[in-house]
Amino acid sequence: MSVKILTICCNWSPWACLNQAQMAGFVLPENLKVIRVMCIGRINQALILKAFEFGADGVLLLECHDEDCRYGPGPAVGHGNVQRVRKLLDLLGIDQHRLVEKSFGAHEKTELAQAIEDFADTIERLGPITQKERKADHYGGCET
Amino acid sequence: MVDVRLDGLVKNKGLFQCLECGKCATSCPRCMSGKEYSPRLLAHKVIAEREDEAFIENAVWECLTCDLCSERCPSGVDFSGFVIEMRTLLAETKGLKGYRAHDGAVHSWMRMMTVPELKQNRLGWINEDLKVSSTGEIAYFVGCAPYFDVFFSGIEVNTLAISRDSVRILNFFDVEPVVLADERCCGHDLLCTGDRKNFEILCRLNYEAFKDAGVKEIVFSCPECYYVWKEFMPQVCKGFDLKVTLLLDLIEREVNRGGMTFSPFSRRVTYQDPCRLARMVDKVEVPRKLLRMIPQLRLVEMEHFGHGAVCCGNSAFINCDAYSKFIQIKRLKEARATKAQMMVTSCPKCMIHLTCAMRDKVRGGEWNMELVDIHTILAREMGWFKG
Repeated sequence: MSVKILTICCNWSPWACLNQAQMAGFVLPENLKVIRVMCIGRINQALILKAFEFGADGVLLLECHDEDCRYGPGPAVGHGNVQRVRKLLDLLGIDQHRLVEKSFGAHEKTELAQAIEDFADTIERLGPITQKERKADHYGGCET
Repeated sequence: MVDVRLDGLVKNKGLFQCLECGKCATSCPRCMSGKEYSPRLLAHKVIAEREDEAFIENAVWECLTCDLCSERCPSGVDFSGFVIEMRTLLAETKGLKGYRAHDGAVHSWMRMMTVPELKQNRLGWINEDLKVSSTGEIAYFVGCAPYFDVFFSGIEVNTLAISRDSVRILNFFDVEPVVLADERCCGHDLLCTGDRKNFEILCRLNYEAFKDAGVKEIVFSCPECYYVWKEFMPQVCKGFDLKVTLLLDLIEREVNRGGMTFSPFSRRVTYQDPCRLARMVDKVEVPRKLLRMIPQLRLVEMEHFGHGAVCCGNSAFINCDAYSKFIQIKRLKEARATKAQMMVTSCPKCMIHLTCAMRDKVRGGEWNMELVDIHTILAREMGWFKG
């Protein structure tokens, strides 16, 4: 069973960076899905947990450098949330390396492409979290 | 709406006995905080105006399931029971609704625990001075405390102190409780938010885990876990034969055997009754009796206490909003009015919710008050009589 990787990307520096990387020929791994959000500060503990609950085997948060945040405290809020969710994942017996946050300036396309590849490798190596495929059924057949 | 099942619920939960006296609505903390919600009206709608589905659905997700309405009801309508079963029914037919606090993070980790292969790493809180074992006859059920302390670190709650002090108390009585690494959430919050399927999975996994460890009796400090194990586990798990004990009951039993003493604790305290403990399992006297045994401790009651105590504002992490905050501040005002120096409670959720209200930045610590769990006080003050 292949792994599923979710990347949550801030709309500002990292998104511009990702665009540049792709224009320069970088191809995203097939099992990696990118969600663009306005700021990593929006991604609270619940959303990260939910990604794992719905079957992600790794979650990568791409954010701006602290001093570049368009809104002010975004990355700082992100650091706090990631720290706490990593502890929760640890309690749940899920390897903390499955949740990573990285910050990029708009010009750092090589570093960003490298970071995505490294993360994909790490998750490939760690493998899927559970042996069983998690389906909607896991959610009690209920919509949320 | 599934009419046959709804008919059954209306009948079994005693809704036909409703006299429309309105005592439920005038005691409901949510109604009294200004929310347009009334248990009486919901009962009326499901009996007589079932076509008003929008109203019924909204109302079902509004309730705090604090059970104060059932307490006040002169006809014995089991209103909280009705709401909990209605949520299961609606979740199956119309999806899980209701606004889940913290974006449903709490329910997320509970659902993640339904995976059978889960290997948790949850015993890091056990200090060297605590004696626990992995097999044996008596177990201690920790609950979600390790998770709460991480998730709510922003408001600095220490619910693990309750677990540590509970184990200390058991050690004091020469019990080395089994504390399991693969214990899961009791599922209370899933049950109360309509996710019956995952609730039952957690029940079965927990039951198997404790049976495998050779446990015969489980001791609880958390009222919600105790309530679930006492009332629901025998329904869900076939052949359920574990003895379920509340830690406060165990302490009372040991105290009655004599030889124990409490060191003086010169404080004026008030006690917040958790809804599960006071109303749903009827343990109002035990905590009070134990507190009164502590010399120099003066227990004063709030305006609403015992069976009539008001909820801490939220239950099962659903519907936390401005009305919840209103209920919490009102409760803290009642506690202040007693001139108590300290508020004692016995539920980690009461502790989380009331601490959250105290930390409200807008109110700037106006309602700050020392809030301590009863197990912490008892663990600190109890000792053997040295005559």
